[in-house]
Amino acid sequence: MADNTVKTPMLDELEKGKWPSFVKEIKMAAKKSPMAQDLLGQLEQSYNEKIGHWKHGGIVGVMGYGGGVIGRYSDLPDKFPNVSHFHTIRINHPSGWFYTSKALRTLCDIWERHGSGLTNMHGSTGDIIFLGTSTPHLEPIFSELTKEGFDLGGSGSDVRTPSCCVGPARCEWACYDTLALTYDLTMSFQDELHRPAFPYKYKFKMSGCPNDCVASIARSDMSIIGTWRDSIQVNKDAVLEYASKGMNIQKDIVENCPAKCMEWDGKELHIENSYCRRCMHCINIMPKALRPGKDRGATVLIGAKAPIIEGALLSSVLFPFIKIEPPYKQIKDVVAKIWDVWSEEGKNRERIGEFIQRVGLGNFLEAIEVEPVAEMVAHPRENPYVFYEEYFEEDEGEEEEK
Amino acid sequence: MPEAMQERLTDIGPPKYDKFLPPIIKENYGKWAYHEVLKPGVMVHVSETGKKLFTVRAGSPRLISVEKIRNYADLADKYCDGYLRFTSRNNVEFLLTKEENIDPLIKDLRTIGHPVGGMQNSISNIVHTQGWIHCHSAATDASGIVKSVMDELIGHFENMDLPGKLRIALACCLNMCGAVHCSDIAILGVHRRPPKIDHEHLYKTCEIPSVSASCPTAAIRPVVVNGKQSVEVIEERCMFCANCYTVCPSMKLNDPLNDGVSIWVGGKVSNARHEPMFSKLAIPFLPNNPPRWPEVTTAVKDLVELWAKNARKYERMGEWIERIGWPKFFRMAGIEFRKEHIDDFKHAGLTFKRSTHLTF
Amino acid sequence: MAKTAEEIADVIFNMVKEATGLKKLKATDLTKAVIELHPDVDKQLCKDAIKILMNSGRCVYTYFGGSYIELPHRESAAND
Repeated sequence: MADNTVKTPMLDELEKGKWPSFVKEIKMAAKKSPMAQDLLGQLEQSYNEKIGHWKHGGIVGVMGYGGGVIGRYSDLPDKFPNVSHFHTIRINHPSGWFYTSKALRTLCDIWERHGSGLTNMHGSTGDIIFLGTSTPHLEPIFSELTKEGFDLGGSGSDVRTPSCCVGPARCEWACYDTLALTYDLTMSFQDELHRPAFPYKYKFKMSGCPNDCVASIARSDMSIIGTWRDSIQVNKDAVLEYASKGMNIQKDIVENCPAKCMEWDGKELHIENSYCRRCMHCINIMPKALRPGKDRGATVLIGAKAPIIEGALLSSVLFPFIKIEPPYKQIKDVVAKIWDVWSEEGKNRERIGEFIQRVGLGNFLEAIEVEPVAEMVAHPRENPYVFYEEYFEEDEGEEEEK
Repeated sequence: MPEAMQERLTDIGPPKYDKFLPPIIKENYGKWAYHEVLKPGVMVHVSETGKKLFTVRAGSPRLISVEKIRNYADLADKYCDGYLRFTSRNNVEFLLTKEENIDPLIKDLRTIGHPVGGMQNSISNIVHTQGWIHCHSAATDASGIVKSVMDELIGHFENMDLPGKLRIALACCLNMCGAVHCSDIAILGVHRRPPKIDHEHLYKTCEIPSVSASCPTAAIRPVVVNGKQSVEVIEERCMFCANCYTVCPSMKLNDPLNDGVSIWVGGKVSNARHEPMFSKLAIPFLPNNPPRWPEVTTAVKDLVELWAKNARKYERMGEWIERIGWPKFFRMAGIEFRKEHIDDFKHAGLTFKRSTHLTF
Repeated sequence: MAKTAEEIADVIFNMVKEATGLKKLKATDLTKAVIELHPDVDKQLCKDAIKILMNSGRCVYTYFGGSYIELPHRESAAND
């Protein structure tokens, strides 16, 4: 049994200070949960020894799924028997992380019956995280969750839980319906999300505008970032109002424009939209006066990842602009081709970004049948080691495609 | 079993989001005209129909108990007809239609210990990983450092007193669950010694070709130890990434004597002004010093204050440093430039200074 | 005659069984191997077959950096 008198002088220090304390949260849970009680004890030991005490499990899950449960075991099971098993459950969150109080209480009730009572709202990928349960509880949790309309999220070599920004639900900058696309892709790829069949993970993140509030360009294999093709919508009176209230339009707006596509004569803001890079700065600073254009869609980028294995990558442009409308055929068609090529040729644990680095973007584009365009590169190649594929045959005197 | 399987619901996916949207959002979905930040942590979105939606944003430690979630639910019932959401940086947002409910809600949030803020030119919540609370490969704790750093920086969460936005993130190892590699300030747990190989168990638990293939610098090769198949590590090639440990638990890198924290600066994900960029190494190593990591806390606070004092309006950390140049940044920050700062992985040459654009 | 998903499930099960202790196989490895043996079988049928194996508990998904398909067993990290 848990020793309720366990002393945690190190952790107690972290109850002090003004920022909300995770230690208080664990202690709150520990009033009811022996698991949370033993977590405190083990964490205190980690703080004393400067080392973690968890072992990674690789086999636990719910029947039929290969994702959604992360196995975890204490390496001090005799001392802290209640965290001998301490598995994580990832639960697919609703798009945009909106909840009703009723839905939250339902989740809390399930988790209090079957786990430590500790959660992350939310994990890095976006899932609701239930932190710490034992193997026998996994099936009951799953069955109670699905009865309430929730399902598990992704883990391992599968589609990871897609996530998105708040989008048109509460943002005037959303250039497409991020919530609808996220839900649609999540539902369309249920099999790929629950049954790992790829060389490695595949993440989708949907941001409604180039501010990219879900950091899709930094961490998703496919980043779908809202943008527009026509002109920024300008409310001239509102611009003047910002100026009259003390905003220095020249300094704050014009001089910060990366494209230098604006001029301010003290009365009117002139924008040369054909040079605008859709960076959002002017719109961010004057939301009442400027808005994205009306011909809206998204830039689709591919290949971001953290360092492991071959180094970190940012996503790069695949489609400079496409309209984002149901049934999202263009996205789904290209995703199917990407997965085909990658599943066929990708190495074990090779993310799509690394795969593209290895085979070359040009070859990759050919394989997925997408034409190269100048928007895909920061600049054309500097090195002259070109793999020419077109040449003349001597006897025919005509250009011959290889 | 087959009968049980038939009853099992699978592949149902998440609840559709519109089940949880408040009526005001359903009615004004896609119709928002503009927003204004009214005060720290409070903004109003105004619809083309004239309807107003108020948002109150509160910080959280991310690791929260069901009891706290129930507190949130109670507050949502009391002030916003039961509707709330969470943000991509683990803040909680209450969605109000009645302006008069804002201040009482803020008061109640403060009572349960949750500060309101994190908007516009402030420091939002730190996104972070699990650390010693739940991770096998953590080189440092996550929640403890985040708590200690935010205790120092909470003033910048509750006030919009900075030149621009500042995003801090923490990852407890190089796996980097989350986008720490593109943050204004990234706190990254690091190992500094090669894996300690458990030859007794390796052949039973790990596939040797996979272990060899996992190494980005090809430092791992098969070898027989005491008659058992195992691997050896060419130590001078090991850069302590722990990728081998991810595929093989018999390659432990965790080392209380040498694990610690590195600090990276100048990354961003937003496209506003400057294109997105990676964070770059500022401080190669600081020790793990629980429970409050004073060296890390001080280093982060100093970097924040240095940027706050010197950056121009709207300039993110990376934009500021790019303007003044890295040598000047190192001088101003009082950080010694060392061998570790020079890249030696792929494409390292692209990071060398290839011009005479220098400041003195 | 065209193979059924159940028949392919048996083929895959035997591949997994034979590889146990030698090599961890991924869904893609198994799919490729099946199609090489039975060129008339398509990827979808392999997917269906894997689903049958998982839903019956004859095989399980495992994770070591990436996801694999194995026979159920007690993992070395597990505590009793």
